[in-house]
Order: sequence, then structure tokens, then C-alpha cells
Amino acid sequence: MTPEKLALTTTSPAPRPRSEGGTDSALAAELTRSLGPKKVLSNLSERLSYRYDAIQFGVTPLAVVLPESTEDVIATVRAARRAGVSIVGRGAASGLSGGAAPMREAVVISFTRMTKLEIFPERREAVAQPGVITLAVTEAARPHGLIYPPDPASFRTSTIGGNLGENAGGPLCFKYGVTGDYVTALDFVDAEGELHSLTRDAYDLAGLLIGSEGTLGLITSATLRLTPPPRFTRTLMAHFAEVGQVAEAVSAAIAAGAVPGKLEFMDGACTNAVEDYLHLGLPRDAGAVLLVDTDGDDLDTVEEERALVEAACLQAGGQVRRAASDAESAALWQARRSVSPALGRIRPQRMNEDIVVPRSVLPEVVREIRALGDASGLKLVQFGHIGDGNLHPNILFDPRRESEEAVHLLAHQIALVAIRHGGVLSGEHGIGTMKREFMRDAVDPETMTALRNVKRALDPAGALNPGKILPDPEDA
Amino acid sequence: MNNDIPVRELGPQGEVMAHAVDACVHCGFCLPACPTYALLGDEMDSPRGRIVLMKEVLEGGLDLLDAAPHLDRCLGCQACVTACPSGVPYGELITSFRGWSEPQRRRSPLDRAKRYAILKALPAPRLFSVAARVGQYAKPLAPALPAALRGPLDLLPEHVPAMQPSPRVTPAQGPRRGRVAFLTGCAQQALAPNFNAATLRVLARNGIEVVIPEGQGCCGAAALHTGARDEALRLVRANLDAFNPDDYDAVLSNAAGCGAGLKEYPVILHGLHDEARAKAFAAKVQDISEYLAGLVREGGLEPFMPASRSLKVAYHDACHLAHAQGVRAAPRELLRMIPGVSIVEIPEGDLCCGSAGTYNLEQPELAGQLGARKAGHILSTAPDLIASGNIGCHTQIQSHVRRQGSAAPVMHTVEVLDRAYRGEL
Repeated sequence: MTPEKLALTTTSPAPRPRSEGGTDSALAAELTRSLGPKKVLSNLSERLSYRYDAIQFGVTPLAVVLPESTEDVIATVRAARRAGVSIVGRGAASGLSGGAAPMREAVVISFTRMTKLEIFPERREAVAQPGVITLAVTEAARPHGLIYPPDPASFRTSTIGGNLGENAGGPLCFKYGVTGDYVTALDFVDAEGELHSLTRDAYDLAGLLIGSEGTLGLITSATLRLTPPPRFTRTLMAHFAEVGQVAEAVSAAIAAGAVPGKLEFMDGACTNAVEDYLHLGLPRDAGAVLLVDTDGDDLDTVEEERALVEAACLQAGGQVRRAASDAESAALWQARRSVSPALGRIRPQRMNEDIVVPRSVLPEVVREIRALGDASGLKLVQFGHIGDGNLHPNILFDPRRESEEAVHLLAHQIALVAIRHGGVLSGEHGIGTMKREFMRDAVDPETMTALRNVKRALDPAGALNPGKILPDPEDA
Repeated sequence: MNNDIPVRELGPQGEVMAHAVDACVHCGFCLPACPTYALLGDEMDSPRGRIVLMKEVLEGGLDLLDAAPHLDRCLGCQACVTACPSGVPYGELITSFRGWSEPQRRRSPLDRAKRYAILKALPAPRLFSVAARVGQYAKPLAPALPAALRGPLDLLPEHVPAMQPSPRVTPAQGPRRGRVAFLTGCAQQALAPNFNAATLRVLARNGIEVVIPEGQGCCGAAALHTGARDEALRLVRANLDAFNPDDYDAVLSNAAGCGAGLKEYPVILHGLHDEARAKAFAAKVQDISEYLAGLVREGGLEPFMPASRSLKVAYHDACHLAHAQGVRAAPRELLRMIPGVSIVEIPEGDLCCGSAGTYNLEQPELAGQLGARKAGHILSTAPDLIASGNIGCHTQIQSHVRRQGSAAPVMHTVEVLDRAYRGEL
């Protein structure tokens, strides 16, 4: 570690062990010269820490840059391009499709220090750099009577840049929409190191960048729409013997006219994993649990909607419990947000699906997936934003004891269920590396060519986050 | 997380470490909980990053010296354990790793001397007390001294009280409701003897006989957490000999760090011949606040005298109480029982104050930043009184709130209860 970096990070009187894991990459050396050592990580211990996201480990990067400004990003991209090295953008790396894990030697640009955030209450907007933590936007907006609704489960950790890259959703997305619905403008640095400013008119290039997983450009600033929070919120939990009943209740409630703020479900295995963590007294024996918030500015409507949901749940064979206090409903929502990581208690590794299907077919889809899981002999669990038809079937496995091939096969079968029922492969986590191969089933060859042409137009050398989203051409 | 840790070569502690690494799904939920990540914002100074670094070192893919700076910056506060939905026993991992790696470390003579001094002085209250009182006179010279010496001096309170001997047995007042053994703690006896005096008075008043078993010593946590495993094992075994859990309803500690250390004995002895004894012992260990809250449920406590005016108490969660032992509600419940007392929650309350055992001595700059941040948050609540259940937090918070110009008293939870009983609140 260089003396300058020492000054930044520690003043421990202990002598710093001289690194034996430095890189001999000329690019790392050049970046260090031009950006200064505080912004460039080149020791092995540092680089090793930037090769993974929340789902997979990739290749150790050649160097990691922690930019503090858009200029730093531009300089990094230009240097990497000159050296012919690919570039991977990274937020907090809480993503679930392998999007932030480098698939070949690359420069990782980690945005965690670009955390400038401005709130403009009069125009109900926030301007955020990509490293801003998602929750921080709402925290900064709340004193002005505003919130930022997109709320992925990882909102305490994840960054706005990562949310944009994956077009993240969250429990609120049923009624309020996903990240992309809240972006009014953004700046991005392209593969050549040129800066562009986009709005949502003419060609919606901003829309193209959102959800592109860092394969088309690196977002360096975003203007986000803020809204006043609903004045009233009511929470209820229902539990059912079987997972298909949840889907029936949801379809019926929505058909009856309820527009809940949040509609989330988790199956019995998820509930138990969370209960092991939070000890809330969740119904361990239930086959599935449904969590619902109805919200709005008119209390009568909010209560009416809750009554509609309750009736639908009872009709579908569920048992209903109303949250008695704000604290209780906060605890229930923390439970839902913890599902994904809590699944680690069941098996050390998982394949995370992120399908979206029409609400009308939800009962068949969740039952078909359950049956596939039961037949596979693997541990399959389901949860998700069921109001959106966004399901997260997860295959939990231990690579030492279970075949990864069988896992992949089951994941493929699940993807095909979604496609067969008119659904898509990703609601909010992106395609990444995990579902890249399934794109062949979901996208016809002509559309695939169009997607490849878009990628080629914006990133001719294929330098940006290679190995993600688009499968290699068959003839390659 | 997949790993190829050679468990067989590493022995029982290898199992502990491999299990923890296995359990991590690298989701990143721990990042916002981590104090060093909050300060430094880089992955290798986060719990997730450190788990990866430890895994790499254990697998042989990374030199220990490369990983060491990042691992050394971990406070061991275990806020990540509270935040982790996957149930990764991070505390067990880092403690075991430090024990395993310390013999391989090359340290400078000054560093070695300092560690030796800490590990010798801490478990010897009399020695510590003498050192502290000498240090008290050296305090005004601190700005002129090298950082290595300034750190410890900064920590000392302005006034180091005389040692107070604790009675072997403190009889219960009135009908005896229970009988407990009490660990007197090390640094705390020298720096804040009133913690123990107040503890004995509050317990006795509630019908509890308190025994201070002979032969007890330092809990071993400081040695263990700095990697001095052999020293720690010696201390642990001495305590297992001194405390026979069958003789008592509970084994009590009033220092969060020590209590957490005692509860860790089964992990330290995992796979060794005293493991069963350690489990029986640890099953009886409780923090003073846990035990008193238990008494509230089983017949209640003697009533407190009301505070002389309404008092806003900022209760600080010691990491080793809240995160390592999971004790959060009990101290708040007890303080709220005092008529006139209300509790205010401290913003960013889960973030470590930076004290963390010997951290002030090893990483003074980070410790100082965290201390200042904590004091700022505490003072933002405009408290009349600050309460906490750990001597380390106590000295750190006291020193930083004073530096920020506040004269608010800083007390141990049990001191507040004791004062209420005496009508002095």
C-alpha cells in the first residue's frame, strides 16, 4: 500500500505489511498516476474484494477505481479503452444476477464514493450520483414531505446506480412502479469516455440505459422523481395451506378492484428461514404467507381496500391477521425484505429466478413451479412481488453435494414455464450471467439481432460489462 | 460461500471458521451496519469483504500480510451479526481467525511491547490501577507524546478513583430470592469501581445473594480478540475452575464485553476437552440487566424512588450487549421503571462508539472518528443523562462528549438504578 493511501485509510502505528499481491498491470499504474493512489486499488487483497456480487464470484479485476467525480469516470474509461481492457460498473454489489461480477479481466469502477445528493422539493426531484444509497434518497426527501418510492429489498445497501442498472423494483412497485418510472433525466459516460445528458423525450435513450446492466454506458448522475407519501397505510398478513391459494387470493382481490400499495408473498420455506432470523412468530406451518399494504390519502378507501383483500384471502382458504401497530407492520416488512439473504440458512448457494407472468395465470404458474421443484429433488422456494406477477423461484443448493447441471436444468424449466404463460425472464434483477442463456428461448432471432445491433452501436468494442445479458452468437 | 478451507489441517477452530464462511451468501446486507465501511467506504473494510479475505488466506490464495490491515481494522462490534439474515457467525470467525493467524504475524518491537503491556495489565486490576493513576498525571503531557502513547492516555478519565475491594459474599436483604456468582471485571475495577458497588447494592436490595468466587480472573476476551489464544485459554480455564455453575442461579457480568466473552467459552473450547464444562458454564451467564429483567418477570423489583425531575436518558447500546449478546430491551425496560425517567433513542444507534476493547490503542484514528460521531449523535438528543452497560463505551463516550463540551453525566445502567434506589437521581 502506498503511503498516500495509508494516510487516507488508517494511521495504525503498526508497520504496514508491504503488499506482495500488487498488480504489474501497466493500466493500474497509469490509473494510479493520473487519478492518484487514493482512487485506485491495485493490491490483490483489494482487487479480490471487487470480483463478486450477491450471487456469484467472477474474475479478479486488474484494477479497481473508486471515482469521486464524473471526470474520474471519464479518465478511467479512456485509459481502459486505450489499453483494450473491459470495464465493469459496480454499486454496492447486492445484485442477484451476477451483473457486477467481472467475467474477464477488467477495470471495476466502484461508484460507492460518488454520493452527492440534492433534493429540489419545489420540483419534486432529487439529483443523485450513482453511489447514493437507495434509502438515503427517501431519508433526505422526507423532511420536505416527499419520498422516493422504488424500494428494493436491499434498499439499505444498494445504490441508485445499481438500481438503475438493474431497473430495480421492490414491494411498492405494484402500485407505484419501478426505478425506471422515476427517472426523468440522466447523464452517462459511453464506452469511448464521452459524457451524454439524456431526458425522456425524443428517442428514449435513458430508458435504454436503465436496466442495461452497465453494458451500454456508465450512469454518472440521475434526476429522480419524488412523491408525497400516502397519508394512511394498513397492513395485513394472511397465511394459506398451499402456495396456489395465495395466487388465487391475489388475482381475486385485484379483480375486485383493490389496488394495494404492496402485495408480497413467501412460501413456507422462506417464512421459516426468516423466522429463524427475526423470531417474529410467523406461522411456521403455513404453505405460504401473503403480506399486503393498502395505502392512500383517504382512510375509508384504504380500509375498504383492506376489506376487499381480506375477503379474497378468506375466500381462497386463508387465515388473516391485521397488523395492530406501525411497529408490527414494520416488523412484517422487515421479514419480507430479509427473505432473500435468509435463504442462505437452507443451502449455501442459490440460483435466483426473477420471472414475471400475467396475474391471470399466477395460480397455475406457482403450482407448476412447485411441482417442478418437487420432482427435481432439489430445494426450491418461491417468493416475490406477486401483485406484479413478479416471482422469485429460488433453487437452493450445495455445490458439494448437488449437481449444478441439475440446478441449471431446473432453472431453465422454470424460465420456460414463464415464457409459455406469456411472461418474461426478468422483472427487476436483470439477466446478468444467470439467465443469459435463457434469452435464446425468450427472444426471437430477429429481435436478438436488433439487441446486438443496439449493443454494437453504443459499445462497438464490447468493452462494457462483457458476458452479460446477450448470449454469444451461436456461430461464434 | 463455496470454500476450500483445509479444515482438517486447521483443527476444531478450522471447523468454526469454515462453517462461518460457508454461511455467507455475500448479499451485502452487512455493509451499512459496519462502522469501518461507514468511514472508509471500500469493500475490503466491510464484513463481507473481510470474510472473503479470511477465506482466501485460509485457502492459501492470499498472503496473511496482505489481508491483515483490513482485518485489523475490524472492531469486532458484531453489528454485522445483527444485520445478517443468513446467520453468519462473524464474531466466531474473526476471533478464531485472529487466534489462528497471530502466531504467524511479524510485529515491530514497539507493537509487541504494547500488546504485551495491554495483555498483562488488563487482567491485573491492581497493576492496571497503578498504571492508570500514573497515566492520569501524564495526561497533560499527552499532546507532546507519540501517538502510540497518546491513545491510551486519551482514554483515561481525568480522575482515576482508588480501588475498592469487593466483599466475597454480599448477603441478600430480606428474604433470599436467589444466589448468583459475579465476575468483577478487570479494567472496570480500576476505572469505575462504583459499577460493581452499585451492582452489589441493587442485587442485595432485591433479595439476591452475590458471591464473588475466589480464583476468578480476566474473562479472556481481550486476549482472545487480539489473537493471544494460549493466554486466553489459560484465563478461560481458570474461570471454569473458579465458577461452578451448579452452585448458582446465574453467573453475572456487568461489563458487556466480559459477559460476551464468558458466553463465548464453548466456541473457544470447541473440540477441546473442557467443551462440555464451558457449555454448562455459558448457559448460566447473564448480563446484569438480563438478570434484573428476569426478576421483574418473576415477582418484580423493589420500587424505585422517583427522579427529582423528569430525566431524559440517552441509552447507548454497547455492541457486546446488543449485537454479541442480543440484549437490548432489558436495560431500557429497567430504566423506564424509574418514575420520571424517559429513554431517548440515539440516531445511528447501532454503530459502534469506537472503543471496542483495545481498538483505541490499535487504530486510534478510526476509533477517534467513531467516538466523535457517536458523541455528536448522543448530544443531538439533548440528554440529561447518558447510560450504557460497558466500561469501554463508558470511557470512550465520556471522553468524547466532554470534548464536545457537554457535562451530561455518563453512567452504567446499574448505577442509574442504584441512584434511584437511594433517591439521588
